[in-house]
Amino acid sequence: MILGADSLEKESPALLTTCGGIEFRNPVLTASGTFGYGQEFDALISLRGLGGLVTKGISPEPRFGNPPPRICETAAGMLNSIGLENVGVEAFAREKLPFLRSCGTRVLVNFFGTTFDEYVDCGARLAALDGVDGLEMNVSCPNIQAGGIEFGRDPLVLGGLVKACRAVVRKPLWVKLTPNTSDIVALARACADNGADAVSIINTITGMAIDVRTRRPKIATVFGGLSGPAIKPVALRMVYQVYRAQIPIAICGIGGIQDGNDAIEFLLAGASCVQVGTQSFIDPASAERIIREIEEYCRAQGVTDVRELVGGLALGQ
Amino acid sequence: MRYFDARVIENRSLGGGYFVLRLGGCEPLAGSRPGQFIMLRGDWGRDPLLPRPLSLLSVAHEGRADLLAKVVGKGTALMERSPPGSRVSVLGPLGNSFPAPSADVTDLLVAGGVGLPPLFMQAESAAHLGLANGSEMLYGGRTSRDLVLLGEIRGFGIALRLATEDGSLGRRGRVTDELEARLDRGRAAASAQPLRIMACGPRQMLWAVGRIAQSHGIDCYLSLEEQMACGIGVCLGCAVAAQTRPYRYVCKDGPVFPASEVMAHVSVASTSQSRGGAQ
Ligand SMILES: Cc1cc2nc3c(=O)[nH]c(=O)nc-3n(C[C@H](O)[C@H](O)[C@H](O)COP(=O)(O)OP(=O)(O)OC[C@H]3O[C@@H](n4cnc5c(N)ncnc54)[C@H](O)[C@@H]3O)c2cc1C
Ligand code: FES
Repeated sequence: MILGADSLEKESPALLTTCGGIEFRNPVLTASGTFGYGQEFDALISLRGLGGLVTKGISPEPRFGNPPPRICETAAGMLNSIGLENVGVEAFAREKLPFLRSCGTRVLVNFFGTTFDEYVDCGARLAALDGVDGLEMNVSCPNIQAGGIEFGRDPLVLGGLVKACRAVVRKPLWVKLTPNTSDIVALARACADNGADAVSIINTITGMAIDVRTRRPKIATVFGGLSGPAIKPVALRMVYQVYRAQIPIAICGIGGIQDGNDAIEFLLAGASCVQVGTQSFIDPASAERIIREIEEYCRAQGVTDVRELVGGLALGQ
Repeated sequence: MRYFDARVIENRSLGGGYFVLRLGGCEPLAGSRPGQFIMLRGDWGRDPLLPRPLSLLSVAHEGRADLLAKVVGKGTALMERSPPGSRVSVLGPLGNSFPAPSADVTDLLVAGGVGLPPLFMQAESAAHLGLANGSEMLYGGRTSRDLVLLGEIRGFGIALRLATEDGSLGRRGRVTDELEARLDRGRAAASAQPLRIMACGPRQMLWAVGRIAQSHGIDCYLSLEEQMACGIGVCLGCAVAAQTRPYRYVCKDGPVFPASEVMAHVSVASTSQSRGGAQ
């Protein structure tokens, strides 16, 4: 690359940031379920350049997932109903972690259970592993002991779950919130009150699509999780609501980020870092590009430290 | 597997919604094998969002790669209209391939509609290896407009039998009728050479081919399709029910599967879409 006189004069902005008890090289992570266990992207981008990566959601035992069709494209987004398929804690530690330990970036492990005890067991076992920098709880799974209602929908249930996991997880503990709620602030508060270090906002939005030719649902489970640029305005609104409520907890913004400007919007709304999800399917090298674009934005705007942007939304005159 | 920018250097319409896209700048695809595919996306903005999986039709020297597609929706319609010079991003080569041609077996290549590309490439590779005598292609479509690139296929020097449902070209009927006729003839002739079947096309055709192969005790390989988002085993969207595990993934375990691996679950899998074009 040839540097113009302009870029030689201006120093590179500092991209280093902290979120939920973890220091990141830059504020761009890749989201759970869209980046496998990291290794799949090794040939496509430089993992060392990432702020961090969040693994596929891990459960205590391996799970095989839902029948096909599992995904379909919708306007500016996609629906998925994978069914939380994963290799389980043991195989994760044995087969996936050695690579992650050496990949040179921060590793957060997303995890879940189908009962309270499973969450606690899974969290404790994962947190004990060397090479895991932090955990992200996926609370959008059905609680089989409570009639299949998602753990993450009720602030009381969520608070109890976070508390129980917090007691055994001695590493940074993040909670990925569901947007399928009427009160995202109450959910974030329940996490903060019970000792979580950060909230990831948002998980997918429940949706559906129908094939009019066959009159069948386009995915086998009828409902699925919507992701992609279609959900960005909703995600941004929820990040800002939680930020504005001044809850003492860090925010990681997720939802439809396609480029540097999208990421900057989340920072301005109050997120300390962001996760790139569906965009990795569209452009597997996008996380790298987004980091570059954030850097360019900072240079162009005279921002010397990316942390200055967090919550920098300008309101009023 | 690499992720790179390529350019359309030629876009040839074949009628009936079929077209051949010739890409330049595909050096990373050198050495790709028949059955492998790429994820392709043009400069389309946000609609459609995801890249589209397309099988390789032919990969030549100097970074040239050919694809054959049929217009079925937005993505393929945009591809059909993309003029020479258009920039596309390519992820590939992806997936596994058909078994290599061998002097010890006769391969029956069964293609339905736009399922042609991997079998075309298999035929091309047999010709390169000097094994054209050991391959026969059975190619079916709804009408004569669904049978394309016939001159090129004949150029490989392999035997070619055609079938159309309306009888406008070749046998009137399905390509599976042609396959059964071929196997009956083979039995009568009691040919010494063992047979192998490789097929790509609509799901219903594939299951029919699989059943025929099973009933004749012939090794059979089916190239499957599913909805895909990533193409590299990450999104877990392209699951198909399988024998040895609850699910296999078309993009990383396939797209080519031994028929015995995927056949027992026909009722589940047949709800999924299949490649356009008739049998
Ligand atoms: C491994 C693999 C290899 C493939 N190779 C080829 C190839 O070489 N050439 C080729 O033309 N296609 C190939 N396909 C199919 C191709 O990917 C789809 O046709 C394409 O994704 C459709 O995109 P679209 O945007 O045009 O249609 P969409 O807008 O996605 O779909 C439009 C409508 O068509 C239906 N539809 C989508 N795909 C198909 C289909 N395959 N058959 C029938 N209806 C469909 C949809 O359900 C929808 O109703 C392959 C698929 C896979 C998985
Ligand atoms: S297409 Fe994503 S796993 Fe196969």
